Order: sequence, then C-alpha cells, then structure tokens
Amino acid sequence: MTGLTLRLELRRSRTLSVGLAVVVLVYGGLIAAVYPILLTNTAAIEDYMKLFPKEFMAAFGMTGSLADPGIFFTTYIASMLWPIVAATAAIVLASRPTGADAERGWADVCLATPLTRRRYLAAAIASQLLILGALALVTVLGVLAVGTLVGARFDGGRFLAAGGVMWLFGCAMAGVASLVTVITLSRGAAAAVTAGILIAMYLLNIIAQIQPGLAWLGGLSAFRYASVGTLIDTGTADWAGIGAFAVVAAIGWTASLVLFRRRDLLP
Amino acid sequence: MREAIELRGLTRWYGKRRGVIDLEAGVHEGEVFGFLGPNGAGKTTTIRMLLGLIRPSSGSARVLGLDPWSQADTVHRQLAHLGSDPGYLGEMDAGSLLDYLGALRGLPKGSWRPIAERLELDPSVPVRKLSRGNRQKVGVVQVFMGRESLLVMDEPSTGLDPLMQREFLALVAEARGDGRTVFLSSHNLPEVERACDRMAIIREGRLVKIATVAALVGDHTRSVNLVLGRPAPDGAFALPGVTILSSTGQDVHLMVRGDVNPLLRRLGDLDVRDIAISTPDVEDLFFRYYEGTVAGSDGRPAAPGPGDAVAGEAVR
Repeated sequence: MTGLTLRLELRRSRTLSVGLAVVVLVYGGLIAAVYPILLTNTAAIEDYMKLFPKEFMAAFGMTGSLADPGIFFTTYIASMLWPIVAATAAIVLASRPTGADAERGWADVCLATPLTRRRYLAAAIASQLLILGALALVTVLGVLAVGTLVGARFDGGRFLAAGGVMWLFGCAMAGVASLVTVITLSRGAAAAVTAGILIAMYLLNIIAQIQPGLAWLGGLSAFRYASVGTLIDTGTADWAGIGAFAVVAAIGWTASLVLFRRRDLLP
Repeated sequence: MREAIELRGLTRWYGKRRGVIDLEAGVHEGEVFGFLGPNGAGKTTTIRMLLGLIRPSSGSARVLGLDPWSQADTVHRQLAHLGSDPGYLGEMDAGSLLDYLGALRGLPKGSWRPIAERLELDPSVPVRKLSRGNRQKVGVVQVFMGRESLLVMDEPSTGLDPLMQREFLALVAEARGDGRTVFLSSHNLPEVERACDRMAIIREGRLVKIATVAALVGDHTRSVNLVLGRPAPDGAFALPGVTILSSTGQDVHLMVRGDVNPLLRRLGDLDVRDIAISTPDVEDLFFRYYEGTVAGSDGRPAAPGPGDAVAGEAVR
C-alpha cells in the first residue's frame, strides 16, 4: 500500500521533477562549459575580483580562486542554484500531502480507506528523499558530463560526495517543511515559514562573513555547512555540520509522522 | 438489532464555534439512514468524526462497534466513504483514479467497471475535464465498487441528472438488499424520502428528530378533498383528528392528523364520487422543523409520535 502511494506521489511529481532537472542540467552544463575559459583567464578575472571587498566575496562563497573546481562549483551551483531548486522541490513536495491535499480533500479520500496516516505520509516522505536525491545527482552529473566534454579535470568522486551534501541539505529543508505543514495543515504557511528560515539563514551567513565581530552567527546558518568548496578541492569537510542536515531531516520527518497520526484533519 | 453506528453525546467544538452538540443516535445494521440538514448544520463534522478524521470534544462515536479514532485502520477496512466534494486528482483519468482507490481497498483492478457502466461514466477522461455531475459519478462508483458493510455518503447525488439519481437510488436499494448499512447525509429531501428507512434531522448542530420516514410522514397531517354524490349528514366528520376546512355541501376539504382509518370507515357510509388524499412529503416536514413549527426554536425535539425516537434518547 505504501509502495502504491509512493508510485502515485512520484507520478504526480513528474512535471516538477523534470522541470527542475532541466533547469539544473542546462544551467550546470552552461556553467561547466565556461570553466575552461575561466582557467585560461584566471589572472585577469582575479584582478577584476580584487575590485570587490574581500568580505563581500567571502559572503558569496568566493573564498579562493574561481579556478578551483570547488570554489567554482560552490559559487555558481551549490550556494546559488541548488538552494533555490532544492527549496522549490522540498516545499512543493513536503507541503503537498498534509497541506495542499488536505485543503483540496484528496487526503480525506485516501485516509478513509485502509491506507493509514503513517503509510500515507511515509510514502510522501520517501518520494521527497528520492526526488531530491535524483535532482542532486542530475546536478552533479550534468556538470561532470559537460566538464568532461570541455576538458575540465573535475574529480568525479568528490563531486558526487558534494552531491550527497546537497541532497542532505535539501532533505533538511523538506523535513522542516513537512513538520510545519503537519502543524499548520497549510501549504501557504509551510512555504512562508520554510522560505523565511532559509532566507534568514542565508542572510546570517553573509553577515557572519562581512562582520568579523558577528562571525559566530555563521554557525547558525545551514549555508555554512552546505558549502562544498573545501570538500571538492581538498577532500575534507565539516562532517558534523553536514550530519546536522541528516539529523534535522530525520527529526522533521519523524515528528511529522508522529504528529500527523495524532492531529485532527480539520476541513 | 446491532448498531452499525452509535453516537453517544457526540460533541465537537472548533474553538468557540459550534460543530455538533450532544448527538445521540444509532444506525441499525442493514438500514439506510438519512441525515438531513442544511449547510453548516453539522452533517460533515459528524461524518468526519465517524471516519476518525477529527476527534470529538466530548462524547463518543462507535462505528461497527469500534472507536473510529483509535481503531481507524480496522474501521476503514469495513467502510466506503464519499465526501461532499472529494478532491480527486484532476490530472488522473477516472479509471486510473478508481483503480488506485480500489487497490487501497484491496480490490482487483477494474472492479469499478460494472458500476461505471451502469452510471455511463467514461473512465478515460481526466477528472479535471469532467463535469460536476460526472465527477460525482466517479464518487458514486468509488463507494459502490467494493463490498464494505458500511457506506458513508455526504451529498452523494449532487449534480447527478434525474436518470442517474434513479440509478443511484437503485444502487442504494441493492446495498440494503445485500444487508449493507448506508449512512446518507443529504439535503436532497425527495432522495432521502425514497431511499431511507429512517432519518435524522440536524439543526444548528443538534439532532431535533429521528424517526422512520414512514412515521414522520404518517404522523402528520393529510389533506383530503372529497366530492360527494349528496351532502354528508351533520356530524359525519366529527372524528378524532379530523378538521373540516371547507364544505360546500358536496365538496368537502378535510385535514386529518394521525390515523386515517376512522375516516376511511366513515367514507364507506357516504356516496363518495371522488377522493384525493395528499400526504406531506419529507420536504414539507423538514421545513416545518426548520421553521420551528414542530421543534422549538431552541432546537429541542418535538414530542415523539408513533415510531419516533427523539434526540437525547438512545435509539435502538
């Protein structure tokens, strides 16, 4: 029964998934295609970058040379495109079963059958895991594929590891969105709260980079841990911070399952 | 007789807003039970508690002997439900949608076909392209495609054309014939009159009357128009419950409340050329309850008549 509902969730998510996959493929491919140009013009570009304050550059993840694959990928994809794509997918998917579908009455139709609330929501959570994973994989593979075509020497293993971090970041967003939706039973409220948290964290990260006296704020921001530049360039990462994504996702989804079983589904 | 549904002081508040208050009723196994009331009376709130979608503020409901909240899994294996405006997925075609919902209920693929054919539902059309009536057909098919022992329906025939309404009533009759219980919430009064064994009237969250349809109709006034061959003798209609509204000698208009047999026996002694007896339909009764002419304006129940049970009593 869970498998049946999971298949339906995946089927309903086709348009969103394919649309976002096309966006990350096209954008990632284009960015990867210009990487060799960056490499051959590194000196000129870095001279140009020196016109900007160091803190300003740091705020956008450009803490090294754009010629470094990790900095390059973080600047254009992991810290910019991916949060938007992942947030879109996470909010739309996580707010659907207990928000949009509850509002339209589809949840009532399903939950008046032997399908339990736990299985209903678990299927939706599984679909979020799969779709976010697929999007992260497509993002990384697109960059790797085009990079290979244009002769860029990207480390496939490290890029895939970065994709894993991006996936966990997306899962954390989905976990939060899922929990907020179960509490409010409203897609609008869940979208507003989740997007608000993300924007606040993004701003915290920038403030922490620009104001050394407020550097501690960066520790509160998910964007600090979502930066995969170091992971790609050196193979090391803040695993505790990355693990926090998994913990947030697990707590959000588990709490959603527990609360959803106990709460009234108000019309 | 076992109860398929039992409501005991069932009450639900939404904050300070009234849902339903102190509902007391029982639905016998194998009967078709009508639940009448206008929008906002509390019908859907009651059904949501029966389905375990919301909890009562106080009191309790038992469905097939089980608590619909804590034992929802078991209850849902034995009932089929149609909501008043089911939010079907518009992108799916009706057949796929019914296959999915059938699979959740353990039904084989295509179980819906016989009922869909009876209702002339095209299963290949995406739900979002269906008219209101055809979407409603999907709901009716969904309810009747299984073999659950309890069918709970909220405004099931809304939007159906008269032919399909007739088919729907036939399906309800077949379900009753199979010994299944039907809980039918509606404000389609003629439908309730034709389909139901008993009915409850809910007003502003409170049950004001529960009775058999026959008793509800039978306990009320009939209009009798007579054309006589010759004027009736004085006192001919001085019978219990009979009132002469008008008389021109040979044309007599009477109102009769309660048992009509004394009047019928008396008519046997008269030269009756023509007779027309009209009974109030459920719609008349419904509006009388809502206008407070039978029930008090505070929603308290009317005095029970033969075959009646009133809100506040256990209905067995």
